[in-house]
Order: sequence, then structure tokens, then C-alpha cells
Amino acid sequence: MKPIIIADRVGKEFSRCPVRGNWRSLVTRSETRSVPETLWALRDVSFEVFPGEMLGIVGANGAGKSTVLRLLGGVGRPTTGSMRTDGRIGALLELGGGFQGDLSGRENAVLGAVVAGLLKREAIDRLPEIIRFADLEGFIDSPVRTYSTGMAMRLAFSVAVHTDPDIMLVDEFLSVGDIAFQAKCTDRISALREGGCAIVFVSHGMDQVRELCDRALWLRRGIVMACDTAKAVAASYEQEMHAETLRRTPGFSPRLTSRGNELRLGENRFGSLEMEVTRAILRPAGTLAAGTPLEVEIQYHADHAMISPVFVVSISRPDGTVCLDVNTEVARVALDAVKGGGGIRLVIDRIDLVPGDYFVDVGVFASDWSHAYDYHWHVYRLTVTGGNRNKGILAPPCHWLLANPSS
Amino acid sequence: MSITTNLNAGERRRWQHAWDLLTVLVERDLKILYKRSSLGFGWALVTPLVQLLIFSFIFHRVLAIEIENYASFVFIGVLVFGWFQTSLGQSSAMITGNRALVTQPGFPLTLLPHVMVAVRFFHFAIAMPILFALLWSGGIRPGWSWLSLPVLVGVQYLLIVGLSYPLASINVIYRDTQHIVGVALQMMMFVTPVFYSLEKVMPEQARWFYLNPMVGLLESWRSVLLNDAWPDPRMIGALLTLGIVLLVLGRKLFVRQSHLFAEEL
Repeated sequence: MKPIIIADRVGKEFSRCPVRGNWRSLVTRSETRSVPETLWALRDVSFEVFPGEMLGIVGANGAGKSTVLRLLGGVGRPTTGSMRTDGRIGALLELGGGFQGDLSGRENAVLGAVVAGLLKREAIDRLPEIIRFADLEGFIDSPVRTYSTGMAMRLAFSVAVHTDPDIMLVDEFLSVGDIAFQAKCTDRISALREGGCAIVFVSHGMDQVRELCDRALWLRRGIVMACDTAKAVAASYEQEMHAETLRRTPGFSPRLTSRGNELRLGENRFGSLEMEVTRAILRPAGTLAAGTPLEVEIQYHADHAMISPVFVVSISRPDGTVCLDVNTEVARVALDAVKGGGGIRLVIDRIDLVPGDYFVDVGVFASDWSHAYDYHWHVYRLTVTGGNRNKGILAPPCHWLLANPSS
Repeated sequence: MSITTNLNAGERRRWQHAWDLLTVLVERDLKILYKRSSLGFGWALVTPLVQLLIFSFIFHRVLAIEIENYASFVFIGVLVFGWFQTSLGQSSAMITGNRALVTQPGFPLTLLPHVMVAVRFFHFAIAMPILFALLWSGGIRPGWSWLSLPVLVGVQYLLIVGLSYPLASINVIYRDTQHIVGVALQMMMFVTPVFYSLEKVMPEQARWFYLNPMVGLLESWRSVLLNDAWPDPRMIGALLTLGIVLLVLGRKLFVRQSHLFAEEL
């Protein structure tokens, strides 16, 4: 089988300050034109995609993921190398960007399908299917401006997946609509693949990449870091992300600012730390069953005597939801003066959290909360296990009872 | 063997698709323009009618210009020049105003000027019945030379599309273009005999007027409609050549620039 996409040492150079030209600059040679400052958004990027295959593209913002999608779509041209595609290209990029608010859903669907490459006759034939998939039977003749964002996205998605593309470019599509619709989208994408459509999928979610993609391409500042099976790339990408977080701690703790405390980089990072948290230990382990006890020990060191520092422990989910936030001030733990090395332990009798991954953040603050001496943010991972698959945050012991009918 | 069977299926599909795209996009633009207004397409007639009233009043009644069938004379000018003016006035913003289409993979950008010129032609066409009514009331009846009208429409279409390609490409990089074009079109209205007749201009100066392609075109329209005289074939030949040359060169520039469009948006 021949690849349907061949990217051969693709490079793309952008001028850093786009030439927002005016006629004056044609006459009076301005400096910016004579010394163009450029940026390589992509460098020597090579990959192939075969029909029916799904390639994930991962990387931080600004790594060049969208540039790859654009070049694949023939929007813009590589500066070096070549990008060859074979067949009709469909796109789930700026969903609903081409919609006209004053036209009805039906008119927009036909328009969108023809713009995406169908003949008008084919578009009209497929309209019932498109409408059914988008779940918009009752609204299809209302103007799109009356739609909610979710409805417009559903329609846009539905149009795009019903246009028989040979190649589909997808940018984070699973954020469309509710969970039921997302499941439908995933099914539809699988169906397209079975029909031989190659899919290029940009995502930030490693779980999605693992689950959906065959292979993945990892970009960093326009350079290919890895191109391998989705599992391998996702694993090394996550490892790298974690290392990056460690490097940044404790400088950018969002909690510091959200508390309204001053973020003083010189004091909670490097050398000038007045008091350091040397490390935190989770006991019995970083993985434990829901309902069991957890101890968090903070080990610290202070060169000089610190008056009444406040220790903080918080548990949060990766999405930022704070599940627990306790400190020694609220608990009225008297710490008059602290000097030298030592430790302080928080004993949590039961961890009644739903199973999943959490972060335990620890820190020590000045007594007036004016700033942090040290703060370790998203350094310590906590995994809660257990069979309970409830939604929400809490998993306390609970059971149901049938109430006797009142007589 | 007919041409259609010579084309292979893919090629035929491409042409069919281009045609479908053109029609749905023209339909879209027309619907957007008038869907929510109470007068609807009636608005397409308002501008030329107001211009007709103003010109008839000022030049015919106030300044007493003596031209036979002045209302028809002016209305031909207003419509023919109006098609040219409104199309080119919009052409510069064609790329910058169609972001979603420009970034759509595989969208044939070269179709955009056709969409715009066709939309403006539609406006031109729906005012035609009023023109014919004016001509009728002035005692003018259709003649054989009217058969040349589609040729005039075709030549003008080529000229406008040919000019809009380069204007649109230049405006993407030099955004001042659309303002300059606006001013230039305004000035052009006065060096095109829309509301006066070239007969009143000194012959030595009149020669220079013909550098403006709209002058020859407008004269042809008037000679056909007002005098039932066939247009000068040399004039039509020259305009047709100009239109084709503009179209080929303009399209070339447009295609060469087109990979820059998405980056500049």
C-alpha cells in the first residue's frame, strides 16, 4: 500500500513580525523589511501516513502542530522540503468558522458540504443523515445565529464527517458537545478509518492519543522529538512534561497568586530561600486504597530562626480542582520559632476520595501569608485506588437504605 | 465525439464542483445581503434609482443638458458603471473578508472573484426590466443589434474579473489598497461619461478618455440600446483582448500569491 501523505523534510519559516505592509514602506525602505527576522516553525519534519491510519501529533503550544495541519491542508506552502497528499482533504479545524448566522442550519449544511468538496446533489442527498447525526431535527430550519455554540459545533462536525474525505485533519475534536455526542464522534472517526480514510489528529490528551492513534509524532519547537507507536510517544512525552514541571517548581505556583500573595521568585526559588522544604514524603505510599489513612511528612530546613511559619498541604486533581487545603494556622498549631532541620507531619485519618490521580502540594509560608518561603507544586503524585467508580470528588463510606413507607 | 465524453470522470467532477460552488456561494451572498431586510431584493434597485433621479434632476432640469432620452441614457451609465464600481470596490477585501474559505483545505481560491462579480451582475440584471421600461416609454423598441448585448456583458465580466485578481492579491499584503481603490473608483466615475456625453468633450481630449476601458464599453451599450446600432467590432475586439490579457496575468499573480493569503490573515 502506498502512503497517502508523505512529508519529506518539511521546513516552514515565518517572519516574526509579519510584513503588515503599507505603501509607504514600498517607497521608504523601512528597517524591518531589509532585515527580516524569521522564525522556523518547522524544521526537517518527515513522516508518512497510510490509508486507514491515524497519526497523532503532540507537543506544547507553539510546537508547530497547527502549522503541520495547515500545510497538509494546502493552506500555505513549505519553505523547504515537500508535503505531498493524495485525495480529498476534510478538516475539523475551526469548527463552524464558515457558518453564516443569518442562514438556516440546512442552508449552512449544504454550503459547508459543497465547500468541503461534495457536489450540490450529493450534499442534498446526505442532508437527512447529517441532520440526524447532529441531532438537530427540530432546529434545522432556524437561523444558525439562534443556535448554541454546542449545536453549531455539532452541525459543523456532522457536515465534515459526511463528506467522504480521503484525509481528515482533526484538531482536538473530542471537545465537541456532551459525552454522548463525543462517543458518536469517536465511532464515526473509526468508521471513516475503516473506509480507508487517513486521519491526522492534533491533541493535548495523551489518553486520547493512546486510545485512538496508531502512531504519534511529537514536535518541540518545530523539531521532531519522536515518531513512533502512539503508546511509546505518549509515554516519553508525559515523562518530559513531568520533568518540566519539576524544573519549574516552585516558581509558578498558581495557588500563590490565587491567594493574593506576592509571587516573589527570588525568595521561593534558588539560594535566597529563607526556609526550604527539602522534601515531602507520602506514607504509607504514593498509591493507596480509598478509605485508608495517609500521612504527609514535610521535611524542612531553615538557616535562620523563622518566626511562626505556616505549613500548608493541599490535594488537588490534575484539572486543578482542590479537594483538600489545610494549614497549620487554621489548625492552631503553635510554631514559635523554627531553626535548623526538622519535619512536620499531617495525618489524614481516611482518604475518602474517588479513585484517580491527584497531586499533593506542600509549602511553607511567612506567618502573615505575605509570601511563600518555599512551595512544591505538582511534584508529589498520589494515586487513589479502589473499585468505586462514582462521579464527583468524595468517596466516603456510604450505603443505601430503603425507607419504610410511612403508615 | 463530444467534449464531455473526452474529459475523464475526475475532470468532469471538478468542473461540476466548481459550478456548484459558484452557485451556492452566490446564493449565500445574495441571501445574506437581503434576508433580514423588509424590502429584500428591492434594495438592489434603490441605489441605481436614486442615482437616476439625482442625475436627471441636476443635469437635465437644472443644467439643461440636451441629450435625447436622458433618463435612459443616464440609467445605462449608472447600471453599467455601477456593476464595475461595486465589484471592484469589493474585490480588494475579497480574501481578507473570506477567512473561513481561504483556510479551507482544497478550496479553489480562484473562484472567489467569479462569485463576487456574479453577485454584482445579479444586481445589474434585476435592474434591467426598469431600464427596458424606460426605453419603451422613450419610444425605443428592441432591434437586431440587441443580440450583441450578451457579448458586452461577457466582455465586461472578463474585464472586472481580470482586474479583481490583482487587486485582491495586492490588498492581502498592502491593506491600503482597498482605500486607494475606493478613491480611484470615485474619480473614475467622473472621467467615465456616466451622466454626460463624450460629444461635449473636445476631440483632442476625448481620445485620451478611451484609455479607460469603461468608456468604450459604455458607448457600445448606448449605441445598441439607444440607436439600435451594432457596436464597433474593433472596439469590442480591443476590449476583449484587454480583458483576456488582464485575466490571464491577474490570475497568474493571484495564484502565485495565494499561498501567502492564509499566512497574512
